[in-house]
Amino acid sequence: MITVENLKKEYKLVKRDPGLKGAMKSLFNRKYETKHAVKGIDFTIEQGETVGYIGSNGAGKSTTIKMLTGILTPTSGKVTVNGLVPYENRQKNAVNIGAVFGQRTQLFWDIPVRESYNLLKHIYEIPEQEYQETIEMFTEVLNLESLLGIPVRQLSLGQKMRCELAAAFLHRPKVVYLDEPTIGLDIAVKVKIRKFIKEMNQRWGTTVLLTTHDMQDIEEICDRIIIIDGGTILYDGGLDEIKKQFGQKRVIHFELADKEKFELPSALNGQVEVLPNEEETKISLSFDHEAVKSSFVISEMMSMYEIGDLNIADPKIETIVEDLYNKQEQGEEHEKVLANS
Amino acid sequence: MRKYWQIAKGRMQENTAYSAWYWAGTASAVMRLLIIYFFWQAVYANQTTIQNINLETMLTYIVIAMLLQGFVGGVGNELAENIKDGQVAIELMRPYDMIFKMFAVDIGGKIMYLIQGTIPMLLIAYFFMDISFPKSPETILLFGVSALAGIWIGTFFDFLVGVLAFWTVNVWGVRVLKESLITFFSGALVPITLFPDWLRTITEFLPFQAMVYLPVSIFSGLISGTEAYMALGVQLFWLVSLYVLVRFIWSQAIKQITIFGG
Ligand SMILES: Nc1ncnc2c1ncn2[C@@H]1O[C@H](COP(=O)(O)OP(=O)(O)OP(=O)(O)O)[C@@H](O)[C@H]1O
Ligand SMILES: [Mg+2]
Repeated sequence: MITVENLKKEYKLVKRDPGLKGAMKSLFNRKYETKHAVKGIDFTIEQGETVGYIGSNGAGKSTTIKMLTGILTPTSGKVTVNGLVPYENRQKNAVNIGAVFGQRTQLFWDIPVRESYNLLKHIYEIPEQEYQETIEMFTEVLNLESLLGIPVRQLSLGQKMRCELAAAFLHRPKVVYLDEPTIGLDIAVKVKIRKFIKEMNQRWGTTVLLTTHDMQDIEEICDRIIIIDGGTILYDGGLDEIKKQFGQKRVIHFELADKEKFELPSALNGQVEVLPNEEETKISLSFDHEAVKSSFVISEMMSMYEIGDLNIADPKIETIVEDLYNKQEQGEEHEKVLANS
Repeated sequence: MRKYWQIAKGRMQENTAYSAWYWAGTASAVMRLLIIYFFWQAVYANQTTIQNINLETMLTYIVIAMLLQGFVGGVGNELAENIKDGQVAIELMRPYDMIFKMFAVDIGGKIMYLIQGTIPMLLIAYFFMDISFPKSPETILLFGVSALAGIWIGTFFDFLVGVLAFWTVNVWGVRVLKESLITFFSGALVPITLFPDWLRTITEFLPFQAMVYLPVSIFSGLISGTEAYMALGVQLFWLVSLYVLVRFIWSQAIKQITIFGG
């Protein structure tokens, strides 16, 4: 179980004036600038949950994960993982966690993958039998067979990531942190990786905390999402709930024989919005599906126009999140304007 | 303990990964040995002793010093790189002590060097060069202990310089400085007894002579009896002081890394 209470992280940066003169000045008179990366967040994650931790670039996701792994010491606030304070009990905590950082390798560069795993077996003191079973299963699910004999430095990004993922789960940790595990991967590899993460979660009840910019990852792996922006949490709840709460907008795309003459049927006026659509023959209508039924919109349209084809778009988590970010930004700008006036 | 041994083995494996370089290492070690050997033969061409040291003792000193110097380094370089590129972060998430892990890596590398560099050199020295091996078992034992102490003093020092990377921008400069200090003051080039008095006095207060000069002097008979035991005492002092310093500096570095985020 992971608990986080009023967790804050401020980075101190040495402020430098440009040029040599600035560099000299900073030698004698150091000015620090404080960057509030995480501004007091709270959440609790139960054993076995799969949580997507999302937010725009620089939102504070990696910073949070680093505090959970013990790599970073929080500026203030409380954090415990399985009852341990990570930054105080780094080695003890390490046994219970696994992690993948998209851009860093934790396998040994020059020796074959299999030897890396063997070394991890000793480092994490995994019993031989358990290790053999695990390897066998991973090899199958992630298609590692042909990779095991190759040194890590000769692997492609996708191959490497599959190996990294296996390394993170090898000692069957209670919690696994995945910081952008699908970055730069092709669809086929992404699918494999998602399947693997899900399967591990189901089989061993591993808690998974995942950051990603690919909402498909979230849809397929996570039951819950936490959205962070500018160091504060915007949303924390089930994936279905967020769709209900923010995704009541439905969009239907109609293909019309003659778009020129289109005019919104009067029955739909005020309840349905016409979205801009680049395509020559298509028209997109957006509406709140609690207020108007899809069937009503469709029948109104069909009674007035000749419809070639139609397509009801599912509320995509992607658009919801985008909406949320935008709202937040507008809110901030609004505050700024108020503050300035 | 077991995991550290496995880590050492991992490093041994890594070192054999580049097999061409593996043998190049052996060739270059043997080359250096030959160069230094003929150099001192030439120096002694017109004299039988230098400061009461005859050719045989000198060659013994120089060759053994060279063999030992190969072990005096450490993994400071690698540590510095790990710190600079942020890889330490991953290391901090592992269930092992990072210092011991680095020592294990170092030991792995040194075992390989022993096989690839030291043993070939030693064989050549033993069969083809006029060097004298100590006769008494006590001397051999004293040398063994002293050499191990010297190696660890060198390793700790190297580690210390590596951690300094954390606070210095120019890691390379610090390393070059360190290398030349060690080569000169450790007595790896010439016995410290050949230094002028004032320089010798300075040297006696530095840790470097405890790395090579003291053990090799025991081996070649420049130091014996009570003096040899005193030398061990000096080494013990440096061993403990440097280790304490390593632990302290390392904990400071970790504090910085975990606060500043690498
Ligand atoms: N070591 C550091 N020193 C100073 N500032 C940092 C450091 N690491 C991150 N930051 C700053 O803290 C903020 C949060 O960074 P963080 O890496 O947590 O973002 P993120 O949500 O992971 O973003 P991304 O999606 O781009 O990975 C950013 O503004 C970043 O510039
Ligand atoms: Mg990040």
